[in-house]
Amino acid sequence: MRLTLRALISHGRVARKMGLGPESRINMLRNLLTGLVRHERIETTTARADEVRFYAEKLVDYAKRGDTDEKAMKMASFWLTEKDLVPKLFNVLAPRFETHSKGYTRMARLPNRENLDRAKMAVLEYKGNPFPPLYPVKKDNELTLINQLLRGYREDRAQQLATKA
Amino acid sequence: MAAKGLDKCFFSLRLLRNLQLRNERLVSTSACRLVDDKFIPPSKPVIIDKTQSVASLRKFLSPEFVPPRQRTNPLKFSIERKDMIRRRKVLNIPEFYVGSILAVSMADPHASGKANRFVGICIQRGGKGLGATFVLRNIINNQGVEICYELYSPRIQSVEVLKLEKRLDDNLMYLRDALPEYSTVDPDMKPVPFSPTGEVPVNNIKVRMRPKPWSKRWERPKFNIQGIRFDLCLTPEKMEHAQKWAEPWREYDMLKEYDTSKLEEHLLDEFQQEMSK
Repeated sequence: MRLTLRALISHGRVARKMGLGPESRINMLRNLLTGLVRHERIETTTARADEVRFYAEKLVDYAKRGDTDEKAMKMASFWLTEKDLVPKLFNVLAPRFETHSKGYTRMARLPNRENLDRAKMAVLEYKGNPFPPLYPVKKDNELTLINQLLRGYREDRAQQLATKA
Repeated sequence: MAAKGLDKCFFSLRLLRNLQLRNERLVSTSACRLVDDKFIPPSKPVIIDKTQSVASLRKFLSPEFVPPRQRTNPLKFSIERKDMIRRRKVLNIPEFYVGSILAVSMADPHASGKANRFVGICIQRGGKGLGATFVLRNIINNQGVEICYELYSPRIQSVEVLKLEKRLDDNLMYLRDALPEYSTVDPDMKPVPFSPTGEVPVNNIKVRMRPKPWSKRWERPKFNIQGIRFDLCLTPEKMEHAQKWAEPWREYDMLKEYDTSKLEEHLLDEFQQEMSK
């Protein structure tokens, strides 16, 4: 008779178990992060995207310190396996996010993978990337009657203000 | 007539006083000789150097004030800190590190004099908040004794630092497997004077160990021990074998980093303000 409760409580552990072990998990995250820095938008499973998100933002924080900082350079050279991305990180991504204090990434869900596993997929991107937006902005139809009348009204007002001034 | 009477009584008073003094002197010397033969010097005056500015004093925030990285409400920690400061205003808990020699006197109803005093090296400081503890180790009559005291326990009557120093590690649990000479502390040790300014002296001693097996595998990199002489007890092959458990990715894992510098400054300012009130 079982007298004690065997509860699967993680007690504050924030790192998910991925791959074969802690080393495998870090290697997998490294590959994902390198891909993210190279292409600025990647699609993976939701769990992996969520893990990489934290590391991506911390990497940008380190990059903001500048490439003269020794610790920042060590971190960048460890996490980016393709060494031609290290200058991209310091010269392109760090200045882009100078005004942002946090929140350099965006994550959105995708339809499940077509394979047998039907895995939950997500797309992770750095903000300010050159691709079309993930959530496209719906513009109103310019050709409806009301929108044409409003456009005419706006142009008349603009003319009146220009003649007054 | 009145003057004569006064003179007489003054004279008798003076005689009495002289007799009293002589008797006292005789009594005092005989009493001294009965109690002990040593010369007890007068207590040294405590010199508070007002010329040293507050800025030059060494800034120290006790580690139990820094809250751990948790999901609990910060209100809990701020209330705990208030209680800790209230206790510190009553009992002076000095600055000490792992490796310093302390003398703690704790209230004990079963000890003669209602208090017992223990002197030892601090080997570990654990816990945060009011439950903060420190473990003192000493060897008494060839028996190693470790006592874990709670800093904020009301039973503790005084904590004195006999020797303030730091060691190469934060955790000296390996002294259990080291030769006993490194854990012995003389219980009647005189306090070594230390200055409240400047750096804390670091004792770079490298300890010799007893033969293996040890209570823990101290050579493994997860303990990161600097203060053991491994070259005397382990072969280079064994050291290399121990490096198999090294996790080189750990220093680059940003999830494990917890930067407390700003938090510590803030807490130190708060602490100094509250203590000066």
